[in-house]
Amino acid sequence: MGPPKRAATSKSEAKASKKRKKDEDVEYAYEEDDTNDVEGAEADIPGAAARDAEKNDQSVQEDEFGAKDYRSQMILKPDNASRPLWVAPNGHIFLESFSPVYKHAHDFLIAISEPVCRPEFIHEYKLTAYSLYAAVSVGLQTNDIVEYLKRLSKTSVPDGIIEFIKLCTLSYGKVKLVLKHNKYFVESPFPEILQKLLKDPVIQECRLRRNVENESEEFIKQVQDKKTVPTFGAKPGPTIGEPSTADAQPVPDDISSFYEKIDVEEDEEDNSLETVSFEVNQEKIEVIQKRCIELEFPLLAEYDFRNDSVNPDINVDLRPSAVLRPYQEKSLRKMFGNGRARSGVIVLPCGAGKSLVGVTACCTVRKRALVLCNSGVSVEQWKQQFKMWSTADDSMICRFTSEAKDKPMGCSVLVTTYSMITHTQRRSWEAEQTMKWLQEQEWGIMILDEVHTIPAKMFRRVLTLVQSHCKLGLTATLLREDDKIADLNFLIGPKLYEANWLELQKRGYIAKVQCAEVWCPMTPEFYREYLVCKTSKRLLLYVMNPNKFRATQYLIRYHERRGDKTIVFSDNVFALKHYAIKMNKPYIYGPTSQGERIQILQNFKFNPKVNTIFVSKVADTSFDLPEANVLIQISSHGGSRRQEAQRLGRILRAKKGAVAEEYNAFFYTLVSQDTMEMNYSRKRQRFLVNQGYSYKVITKLAGMDEEPDLFYKNRDEQGQLLQQVLAASDIDCEDERVPGEGGPRSGMIRKAGNMGSMSGADDAVYYEYRKHGTLTNKHPLFKRFRY
Amino acid sequence: MADNDGSTSSQKSSRFKQTNLECKNLYDYLKSRSSQVLEKLYNHPTICLAIYRELPDLAKQYVIRLVFVEQPVPQAVVASWGSQVFSKEHNFASTVLAELTLWQEAAIPGGLLGWILSPTFKRNLKVALLGGGKAWSMSSALEADSKARDVAFLDTYSQERWECVLHYMVGSQQQEGISADAVRILLHAGLMKRDEEDGSLVITRQGFQFLLLDRQAQVWHFLLQYLDTVEERGLDLVECLTFLFQLSFSTLGKDYSTEGMSPGLLIFLQHLREFGLVYQRKRKAGRFYPTRLALNITNSHNKSTPDIEEDHPKGYIVVETNYRIYAYTDSNLQVALVALFTELMYRFPNLVVGLITRESVRQALRGGITADQIIGFLKQHAHPQMLNAEAKQPLPPTVVDQIKLWELERNRLTYSEGVLYSQFLSQADFNVLKEYTESNGVLIWCNKEKRTLVINKSAHDDVKKFWKRYSKGN
Repeated sequence: MGPPKRAATSKSEAKASKKRKKDEDVEYAYEEDDTNDVEGAEADIPGAAARDAEKNDQSVQEDEFGAKDYRSQMILKPDNASRPLWVAPNGHIFLESFSPVYKHAHDFLIAISEPVCRPEFIHEYKLTAYSLYAAVSVGLQTNDIVEYLKRLSKTSVPDGIIEFIKLCTLSYGKVKLVLKHNKYFVESPFPEILQKLLKDPVIQECRLRRNVENESEEFIKQVQDKKTVPTFGAKPGPTIGEPSTADAQPVPDDISSFYEKIDVEEDEEDNSLETVSFEVNQEKIEVIQKRCIELEFPLLAEYDFRNDSVNPDINVDLRPSAVLRPYQEKSLRKMFGNGRARSGVIVLPCGAGKSLVGVTACCTVRKRALVLCNSGVSVEQWKQQFKMWSTADDSMICRFTSEAKDKPMGCSVLVTTYSMITHTQRRSWEAEQTMKWLQEQEWGIMILDEVHTIPAKMFRRVLTLVQSHCKLGLTATLLREDDKIADLNFLIGPKLYEANWLELQKRGYIAKVQCAEVWCPMTPEFYREYLVCKTSKRLLLYVMNPNKFRATQYLIRYHERRGDKTIVFSDNVFALKHYAIKMNKPYIYGPTSQGERIQILQNFKFNPKVNTIFVSKVADTSFDLPEANVLIQISSHGGSRRQEAQRLGRILRAKKGAVAEEYNAFFYTLVSQDTMEMNYSRKRQRFLVNQGYSYKVITKLAGMDEEPDLFYKNRDEQGQLLQQVLAASDIDCEDERVPGEGGPRSGMIRKAGNMGSMSGADDAVYYEYRKHGTLTNKHPLFKRFRY
Repeated sequence: MADNDGSTSSQKSSRFKQTNLECKNLYDYLKSRSSQVLEKLYNHPTICLAIYRELPDLAKQYVIRLVFVEQPVPQAVVASWGSQVFSKEHNFASTVLAELTLWQEAAIPGGLLGWILSPTFKRNLKVALLGGGKAWSMSSALEADSKARDVAFLDTYSQERWECVLHYMVGSQQQEGISADAVRILLHAGLMKRDEEDGSLVITRQGFQFLLLDRQAQVWHFLLQYLDTVEERGLDLVECLTFLFQLSFSTLGKDYSTEGMSPGLLIFLQHLREFGLVYQRKRKAGRFYPTRLALNITNSHNKSTPDIEEDHPKGYIVVETNYRIYAYTDSNLQVALVALFTELMYRFPNLVVGLITRESVRQALRGGITADQIIGFLKQHAHPQMLNAEAKQPLPPTVVDQIKLWELERNRLTYSEGVLYSQFLSQADFNVLKEYTESNGVLIWCNKEKRTLVINKSAHDDVKKFWKRYSKGN
């Protein structure tokens, strides 16, 4: 699509203005609809129907090629070339990344929808009830969303989608959950909505009446003042690498003007607002939150930290040296958009500086902060981060772990682990005291690191034990194989921001990674055993495949010669030990003591002789190893997309120098050909592939045959290895279990079921299998073609 | 560090031969004509010029050197014109010239063999180069057309007409049909065939491959097939070819008169009109416009001709690293082509969203399309944005690799012919033969328990002899 000619635009201007007028008519008509809607909604909301836009297109006809044919539902606009997106009736949105208005559209879509995949050219987003909820919570209005979507779209927006947006947003954002003076209140500028909520028996139960005699349903009234947006630390200089927007392509007027309007509106709040509220029983917080979502009035958690005079300010500030990158600042702006702190989740890739976002949030709120992370090692790392970025010193930051018990009482920043808080067994006296203190406090902000890894149950415990005004979840991958992610939406809050991996990579904030899948053919002997043995042994057979071993050895040597630092991951402990011992490299797994771990990691960091370490899945998250730039994965946890992303994150931290090279980090996944590992690996890669990463398939490592003294070269050695594998016990065949990883915590538990169910593949079988042998949906051409 | 692509380029040529669709160029086509036909063809300066343009560089040189020489030139002399280093090229050039009967061997007094250019060719090439001779049958001596057509109109017209044929092949119903003649050509070319059961026309393996060719190659291939059938229709092949060549030298956007054309040629013109190679307002309009399709038709394998590139629909396919395909099109034909190897998901007014999956590609492979054809098609129609990208390749290399791997997946078995030896009387006999064959490296497979072995077929005689000697010795 070449740039439209100047004359053409000026000609279409008249048309556009005419159309705008028409749009206004339409808009007006919709507004009338709105009121009807609200009335209808108040009477009875078709809750289930409003939930999922996917259902909207079930009746859509398929064309002769099996595609859903939306052509009848939308009209192509004459100036479609200058508009960037298509909106499908099922809520999927496709965005051209090369459009001149990409930036406008991108910011908007990130706010209102979930990114599905963001490769290089065309991005896919999806409107969901939650994403719209998040949009409303950052201050977008229903009509603005609809209107802007209409303007950005190349075609007319399907009515079903407009309906969906209205259903999801009209009732959202009207009620807020506020923590004031250690008491929870449900607050709203609309008394009638509160009245309505209180008619619900469940909510009634949750309401806390201090004054039992006073039966009349009086609300507490209050007037709010205008807020200003805080600024975060030092401003970065003119953003580097920002694509020059001085594009020859004209941006349609209506889009740019609307964009500015929305941009301004984001920060704008009504000058003063009269609100009404009622108090809620603290133990029933979650009940009321859930119930409100069911009633289509989700509660927004906000914290007016500036006007909180009850809790003392803490004296931390960002150091002047702490410079926020543009995306970090943007994510924080979403959080503090209206001068108050919203609860929610910020999604940034590993290595993109999540901790700095956390530290900055704490420094902005300037109230007592609680940081929760999932291992002792990351507690140390968080403390380091606080000291590096903020003016907080040792006396203000305090760790609360089983190993390091600083004096936590009265400290301003407390760093601890999830398990420490939720510990149910007897604690030491000291810890008991600390816990008591912790529970009495009214925390200003609670930062939840690696929030996706935590089982919902543990979360609930944390949230009932500790009260905080606002919660900030940080994660790299907002996905779980068990789909419990939706829970986060009401446990913490909506997703506030999600960064685009590819964009960060292009601007050099994270490393450029070459992902590769190395296919290792099974040796005949191993494959024969693989075919006949029972399921549990199979895993061991394909992990111990001698060709895989040789490939690993070769890759390690190759990268050691280049002077790279390599981490080798194996979920299977038997394989981990065997590989590491055979190659004489250090290894870390569950039973490795904290002291030994730190020693190995220190050596890896500073000792030029230790360039390769073997680790089990304990290193999946929050082992910060900035030096590592090569990762080799020899066995993994079934089809877990999250693990794949987490592991990639180990090497994502931007590398210095090495700009000249196309890639500065390498991620190898070794799979044994013709085994189920292939399917797992395809499934695992889906998330990263959707983020725009591409996996190069390597069927043959060049130069491996010339490499001298690789192990398991001849049949005899391979035979011995096979014997060892066959002699291994069943426990060896299983992946290592890490406490807090979802499953039951009591060490080894034998589970009935197959590898598939262990990996969470029970409900999502890789689709190729479902389709096998079904020739029903053949291409019409092939239907006519007889072989 | 690892290299998957190394082998592919060398395989390309061999794999292309595996495809069942044979694409001849002008040289291949003329080579297979009889010398009488060639002789007749050489009577026309246009043809001579067209052939001359398509000759290898060295052959062109020879022709120019010889064109004004009236007696045979010794072959040794001709060979000495070039350096010894390029003897291979020299040999090739001389075979080409000989095969097209452009020059003939002639004895020179003194017993030496010499080359002499075909007199007809020589004469007419001179005409083509220097002018003279009689006027072309299609003259442009016409008064101005009151309804002159511009280039853009002709382009859309030709495209529409040509797509009609393709649409017919794809079997989409929305388009108007094509004439029985055209259908006959499709059948003759093996691009479509009659179904045994109901007699309806179905597309063949070659047809699929045809669809994925670029437009120019399609037109050329189709015309060659048409020319095969020309004589059955009572048309004169030479006349048609001549006209075709003249057409290829004509000017786009200019109108030519049909005056003086033979009735046969007028029929031929109507056929060309149907496929969109020429435009005529009415059958009896007395004038016609050649379209882009007809231009430069003879140098069909010269991809660099810019005029033809323009004719191509602009690249419309975006391929993403996550195997998504986005095709900016509302044409049913293009959608059908993309759908050959993708699973389509959504269809918007000007966009189709699809996914390349293992299953969809395998289905295409089963249909006889090769991975290279799919990749070639995607490359050819890549969206301009893909070409602008920083990466040098228009397609994501991972997707290309994967499509190739899916193809390789289907041929992982290697076949080697062998001879089975079995029913050994004793284990010792078996061992002796096993050791012998193993040491010679001809053993393919053996099973100790069943005392059977399979050896390479070529070594069968040798092993048999050995076995006879051995059993005699016992």
